[in-house]
Amino acid sequence: MNAVDKLPAPGAALRLVSGNHACALGAVAAGCRFFAGYPITPSSEIAERLSRLLPQVGGVFVQMEDEIASIAAVIGASMGGVKALTATSGPGFSLKQENIGYAAGAEVPCVIVNVMRGGPSTGMPTRPSQSDIMQTRWGSHGDYPMIVLAPASVREIYTETVRAFDLAETFRTPVVLLYDQVIAQLTETVEFPDIGDDARAERKWASGPREAYQPYAANEDGIPAMSRPGGGYRVHTTGLTHSESGFPTQNPEAVARNLGRLLTKFERHRDVIDSWQALDCDDADVLIVAIGISARAATRALATARAKGVRLGLFRPVTLWPFPETALRAAAKTARAVLVPEMNAGQLELEVQRILGGKRVYAMHRYDGEPITPADIAARAQALAQETAI
Amino acid sequence: MRDARVEIRIGGTGGQGLILCAKMLADALCAAGRRVAQSQTYEPTSRGGYCNSDLVICDREVDYPLATALDCLVLLDRMAVNPSWPLLRCGSLVIADTRMCPDLPEGDCRVYRLPLSRSAIELGSERVTNIVALGALCEMSEICERKALEQVVRAESPKSFLDLNMDALAEGYRLGIQARAAAKLPA
Repeated sequence: MNAVDKLPAPGAALRLVSGNHACALGAVAAGCRFFAGYPITPSSEIAERLSRLLPQVGGVFVQMEDEIASIAAVIGASMGGVKALTATSGPGFSLKQENIGYAAGAEVPCVIVNVMRGGPSTGMPTRPSQSDIMQTRWGSHGDYPMIVLAPASVREIYTETVRAFDLAETFRTPVVLLYDQVIAQLTETVEFPDIGDDARAERKWASGPREAYQPYAANEDGIPAMSRPGGGYRVHTTGLTHSESGFPTQNPEAVARNLGRLLTKFERHRDVIDSWQALDCDDADVLIVAIGISARAATRALATARAKGVRLGLFRPVTLWPFPETALRAAAKTARAVLVPEMNAGQLELEVQRILGGKRVYAMHRYDGEPITPADIAARAQALAQETAI
Repeated sequence: MRDARVEIRIGGTGGQGLILCAKMLADALCAAGRRVAQSQTYEPTSRGGYCNSDLVICDREVDYPLATALDCLVLLDRMAVNPSWPLLRCGSLVIADTRMCPDLPEGDCRVYRLPLSRSAIELGSERVTNIVALGALCEMSEICERKALEQVVRAESPKSFLDLNMDALAEGYRLGIQARAAAKLPA
């Protein structure tokens, strides 16, 4: 299907594209010009497609010797001033954790795709799962901030890949794009939206007198300016805890100041970072919270139940981390019970419980490599609506 | 729900071209403006092992993209029978290859045993069984315009397989027409 090798024209007609191919197209549209990766099912189509697309736009594609080298190359490319991407699945994502922590700590913008397959370890390569929800947030050691986006359709993979680069560049951070094998290898009819060629986010570049430049000094927005390679600004980058100068420090005041800024740098930008879908939540008796293919199943369950007069609602975090808590609280206002269907042994459920405090939160777990069906969700949610009826 | 949702599965083993076959049909439907979601189940082995390719076709955006109640099932290997049979909707269309699926369970469905792989072998290569099946499926289900499908198969075929694929598609249609006539289905 060679048509997919062509970049979509704005407002292009209906076309058939797979999730992973949409990711590759979104990356190029967002301005990504460097990919380093190591093939792994079910993410390999991203690399395969970018190996053809990137040379067409003057970009660089490298198949590395392993996953650790891939994320290291991506960090290097980004420090060299280029928007960079790597893509992998569970086992490879585990290998990348040390360097993801480095990118978060050294504040190097980059995008990492994790297509979830069954785990633990090498698990089930061709079967879907949603069991990396917590790992994407807490996978590397130490305290660090993280942005994770969780698209649920082929079209959304395209738009969220673009947004992942925009957020990474704007907030100098690694961003993880997290979706399951079903969505990754699903081919859907898509109309690509016009994302606007010139409006893409650029990172804040250093300007002003060279002597005064400090690579980690930030103004009130909390985001330090990066220096362009060869721009004449002195830069030191390290994984060690550093002061504004970029050099290591263990001085408690300097650590508290700099680490404190790092850990809170997304807070004042939540209006831009948070994203979610709230479907029929206004009068819902039972609220379903789900991502990816489980959310698609819930959408169908919702329609079935509503047709029978059972009031279900769906809250789907598109930005998974930081979790859009204010929006979830608002969506859960009328709900007597909350149902969290997820393809793991209980992860999203924990965050929903934390945010909704006193609400009754019920979970549906499945980890046999099969997706949770709309019928299962509808039956459980309708039973909950009856049990909790006043 | 009255959203004209149609679900099709092509089941068999890895290497039979099931995904390619479903993608060709999806392409033809997409060109006609239909909304399509095409998914697959496969095993890590690249040849052999259970494999299926599913299509969900809708007039509006597909909410849940995976198969839940099949309207049409094409069986190219016995391995696909057990995982697919419970998903059949009442009165659904089943097209099974006579050679590869000799035994089928009872069911409330319209079963047609067609010599798909035998015809492919006679045409010159068992590898075009998927295209014979595609022709038979489209003739019997009337899901897609023949011209649109021919156009896609022509566009997607490598040069060395072009004539063979077009012959295979025509043979599939012929088998379908024959089966309909034998069952006295309305044309």
